[in-house]
Amino acid sequence: MNLSNFGLDSITLAGPLAARLAACRAAGFSQIMLWGRDLAAHPGGIEDAVKLVRESGVRVTGIQVMRDYEGLDGALHEYKLDIARQLLRVCKAVGARLLIVSASTSRHASGERERIARDLAKLANSAVPLGIRIGYEAQSWGRHVQSWEQAWEVVDLAAHANLGVVLDSFHMLAGGDELEALEDLPAEKIALVQLSDFMWRDLRSVEERIETAGHLRVFPGEGSHSAELSNMLRRLDRGGYRGSYSLEVVNDDYLQLAPDLVCARALTAAKWITDQVLRRSLQVRAYAGRTL
Amino acid sequence: MIDTDHDVATANPLGIAGIEFIEYASTEPLAFGSLIEQMGFVAIARHRSREVTLYRQGDMNIVVNADKRSRPSSAREDMPATVISAIALRVRDADLAYRHAIEMGAWAIQTRVGVMELNIPGVHGAGDSILYFVDRVGDFSIYDVDFKPIPGAPQRPPALAGMHFFGVVQSIDEGRQPEWCDFYRQLMHFDALPEGEFFGAVPKGTLLASPCRSFYLQLIEPPPGAGSLQWEEQLVRVGFGVPDVAAAVQALQERGIVFIDRDPAQADGKGALTRLYKGGVSFELVVSARARTAEAR
Repeated sequence: MNLSNFGLDSITLAGPLAARLAACRAAGFSQIMLWGRDLAAHPGGIEDAVKLVRESGVRVTGIQVMRDYEGLDGALHEYKLDIARQLLRVCKAVGARLLIVSASTSRHASGERERIARDLAKLANSAVPLGIRIGYEAQSWGRHVQSWEQAWEVVDLAAHANLGVVLDSFHMLAGGDELEALEDLPAEKIALVQLSDFMWRDLRSVEERIETAGHLRVFPGEGSHSAELSNMLRRLDRGGYRGSYSLEVVNDDYLQLAPDLVCARALTAAKWITDQVLRRSLQVRAYAGRTL
Repeated sequence: MIDTDHDVATANPLGIAGIEFIEYASTEPLAFGSLIEQMGFVAIARHRSREVTLYRQGDMNIVVNADKRSRPSSAREDMPATVISAIALRVRDADLAYRHAIEMGAWAIQTRVGVMELNIPGVHGAGDSILYFVDRVGDFSIYDVDFKPIPGAPQRPPALAGMHFFGVVQSIDEGRQPEWCDFYRQLMHFDALPEGEFFGAVPKGTLLASPCRSFYLQLIEPPPGAGSLQWEEQLVRVGFGVPDVAAAVQALQERGIVFIDRDPAQADGKGALTRLYKGGVSFELVVSARARTAEAR
């Protein structure tokens, strides 16, 4: 199994930054998603954290997360833009090529599509000279952008190559998003795919979604939406997506376990994911009627 | 600006009209100064307070900045380096162009980071470079505030062999051509030329045309298999337009400039490339009739 396309999200693992990096590396993962606070809260300070990351040999998939950025006016917009740019500097410092912007939940944010697109294009331009891409992610409890299709709509409208969508299976499953059109999503416009599942079928209220998202996610293959996840993975593969899969599994139980145990579960999940896509490839070959 | 403005109709709402000056930051300003003198430039003025010299030929201005504060962040103390640190664009209204760039997401430069005491609005570009916006060209010289003419130096030396700014080559990381195209398009209305359309001796990468069509940016990705090569996103080379490449090459050779002998198949008069000089500088000649905006001046 080729692990190079898989990474863990640091939020999945307990312990200090060094221990989490070491556990990822020992398990064979070559990348990790970091959060701004992983670096800011490091006891040795942010410079030491950057050094630790750079010397770990583990690549940083991206930096989480810019919240409530788009659709704001005046001083609020300027403030958020400034914070986003500080995060871009963090990305640059640790060699992360992606900043994730999650769809706004702010009641101050406008829902006007053109406006959101303009704000995202603006940040995408800011990020170009630093060599960082902006990934926009729908949130199932977002104020205006809740589904991946809505996120894609504004990303498409922004028409900037430095901006793509981040697909998060948790939000897609929780929100009951349509998966069929995924394979029509241009592969180069997918900035990242984040994968996790949860253990019950439905999350009816926003409160349930937020509670589950923040404490009770599980790895792909462990939850109750394996069929949907498998469907999603095959569609992405068919659409030509060859980028990274980040395992973003926010789970209070995992945070009580040693990171190497959680990394072992992550490896099982990576194998499960590979198997879903592999199964699809075999089907295509049979369909084509050729022996390859 | 009013909507009926001619430039709006021609997709040049900022009224970009060529390059006002190009600034190099150099750890070896004397050596680099002699090199551009060999290229036909004449030192015409010195900065009133900093180690900065203004060179000119025809309507081209080159600022050579040896101020330690303007060294590129990648520069090493023990390595001579000369880099293109700024491109100043002539625009109709510098403040308008600046505000547009900021509105589109450009990073404002810190005041006083630049060479000029005069507050020239600028934003960050590739690598450590700055994009300046300059107006009031013609009736008032931006150089008057910061520079003192060198006594006896001709203030309007003619261009050698019809040389004029043609473009700047920028190195970009692998696969980043679409991102940079959108950056220059949204900030400054540059357009990518159709794939495969090139000028000059180096038919590689992507060409972006300024909305005034008087100069170009050439985006070049690392060559295939260059995994271990040190490659940074930065401005790497200035291209000079000349009406007759062979004549210009001869004139410059006579002044001691060394050109790279290229494959004879490419020596078709489209362009020529100088050797790489100490500090990492080279120049390119590109066949080009004198730019319209330059003619008008």
